[in-house]
Amino acid sequence: MNYINNASLLKRQLIVRFARLMFAGKLKERIDYLPMQQAPRDVAAVRCCVHHDRAVIRYRLIALLGFAIENEKPEDEARSLASYAEEAETLGESRLAGSVLTVIDEACSACIRANYRVTNACRGCVARPCIMNCPKSCISFENGHALIDEKVCISCGICAKVCPYHSIIYQPIPCEEACPVDAITQDERGKEDIDATKCINCGKCLQACPFGAIMERSEIFEILRAITNPAEPTVALIAPSIIGQFNTSLGKLVTALRRLGFDHVAEVAWGADLAAEKETAELIERLEHGQTCMTSSCCPAYVEAVDKHLKTIKPLVSDTLSPMQYTGEWAGRQWPGARRIFIGPCIAKRAEARRSPHIENTLTYEELGSFFIAAGIDVTECEESKADLEASSVGRKFAVSGGVSAAITRAAAAGGHAVTEKVINGLDTKSLATLKAIDKIVKPGTFIEVMSCEGGCINGPGVISNPVVARRFLEKMLEEKQP
Amino acid sequence: MAKKFKITICSGTTCYVLGGAQLMMLADSIPAELKDQVEIVDSNCIKACHFENAQPPFVQINDYLMSQASVAKVVDYLRKHLQEQA
Ligand code: SF4
Ligand code: SF4
Ligand code: FES
Repeated sequence: MNYINNASLLKRQLIVRFARLMFAGKLKERIDYLPMQQAPRDVAAVRCCVHHDRAVIRYRLIALLGFAIENEKPEDEARSLASYAEEAETLGESRLAGSVLTVIDEACSACIRANYRVTNACRGCVARPCIMNCPKSCISFENGHALIDEKVCISCGICAKVCPYHSIIYQPIPCEEACPVDAITQDERGKEDIDATKCINCGKCLQACPFGAIMERSEIFEILRAITNPAEPTVALIAPSIIGQFNTSLGKLVTALRRLGFDHVAEVAWGADLAAEKETAELIERLEHGQTCMTSSCCPAYVEAVDKHLKTIKPLVSDTLSPMQYTGEWAGRQWPGARRIFIGPCIAKRAEARRSPHIENTLTYEELGSFFIAAGIDVTECEESKADLEASSVGRKFAVSGGVSAAITRAAAAGGHAVTEKVINGLDTKSLATLKAIDKIVKPGTFIEVMSCEGGCINGPGVISNPVVARRFLEKMLEEKQP
Repeated sequence: MAKKFKITICSGTTCYVLGGAQLMMLADSIPAELKDQVEIVDSNCIKACHFENAQPPFVQINDYLMSQASVAKVVDYLRKHLQEQA
């Protein structure tokens, strides 16, 4: 869930500092000072000491430069950040290959090792069934209380079951609990590893980690370079959920993007309009051929979940491209050679974009907001202007759950086809189980919208606004548009 | 009757991105007993972020400028000051 989270605020502050250096053309000269500036000596440390804080910040910067921390060699600990910046330049985008997420060892290892913990409700009873029944003999007694050795415990839960006072509790590891597909697990040292063959890039682990240990491998280095280079044409492809992210109108935001250095601005909601049209035609055709139902394809985390975990329902997934890809394709024809940068709330889209020929880079709202601060641009004070490519309110509603299915059932009805809609609002183990047999559950003639994020993209991992606020804002704006 | 507290939430970009977005939930979180004592408005940048080492997001409550504001901090402040003046 989206709640106020200090870890993400600290990340934004760091991106502001990073972007300021890029705007000043001083990244390589000054990047090694950033950990000291972000965690100065005279401010109380978050971790054990200021040096540990700085070590974590250093890794965050490495991830912001696009590198995977897992690839670091032991001797790299002594490397300067300037040398990473240098390497980012020489390697270019080839360094971005592999998973879009990376885990900061230094931050992650502060987490719990075992899932069971003895609380102070322990009475130190005579029966001591916890000790008697632990298969690993990892419980001892200290000051009249049972104590679990976290390093030996295998989290089998027997002790919790047998305690007559229910004094042993189950404590989930936040990222593991959040992951819908069991892709993230602890290694023998207690650090989390993401299994790329299982991971669907939904970003739920990143949102869940209270230490901010999971980072995206960002593309801000190339994006900032491109938008500050007047010779390089750039297109901002803004996702429908951008409405409501800055508490201001779309028109002001368009101006702010241009002031930041984007040459063109295109609404991805235009591609959503197109995708809705194509998906409706596809649905009707499939139903006529005897298929019972079809699911949406616009959420890449869902599509990856099907490819990796629900292969049997693959034939039910629409073949329509995502709105991002259609808009990117259009922008490629309109402005050949321009760098097309998708701006959205989504990590799965980052992975999708890296596979797509129609998108060069992706940026999150968090990152964009930090760029505005660094450039001294206040979006609310910009004048209104129009995007180069605009959309209808149908496409704009793709940002909230229910928007896609509403668009498609309405379009089908207009063509004389009665279609039932079903919305899978958020992926978790339960909804994945439902999806597995979805064609047996729904009525024949159903369109199923699936979004990985509960509430839709307005609750994506890279958003700024609280999704409740963003939804209100979006609804208000769409009402004003069409009385 | 004039309201006891006038709360101005800064929703300039700096404040909004660095935590202010969550302050938009303030109206939903004001406890019932305080509801008719407060008036909440949001405003463009109130220029507090222009100072060196500023700590956004900012909220102005009558004459008091709160830095690093959060919903919880604001509600806490209101509770304390309601009693003080009563
Ligand atoms: S991104 Fe999603 S699928 Fe991948 S490890 Fe994190 S929670 Fe699991
Ligand atoms: S619901 Fe939207 S933001 Fe979330 S993973 Fe899917 S496409 Fe991305
Ligand atoms: S943006 Fe809030 S004080 Fe400037």
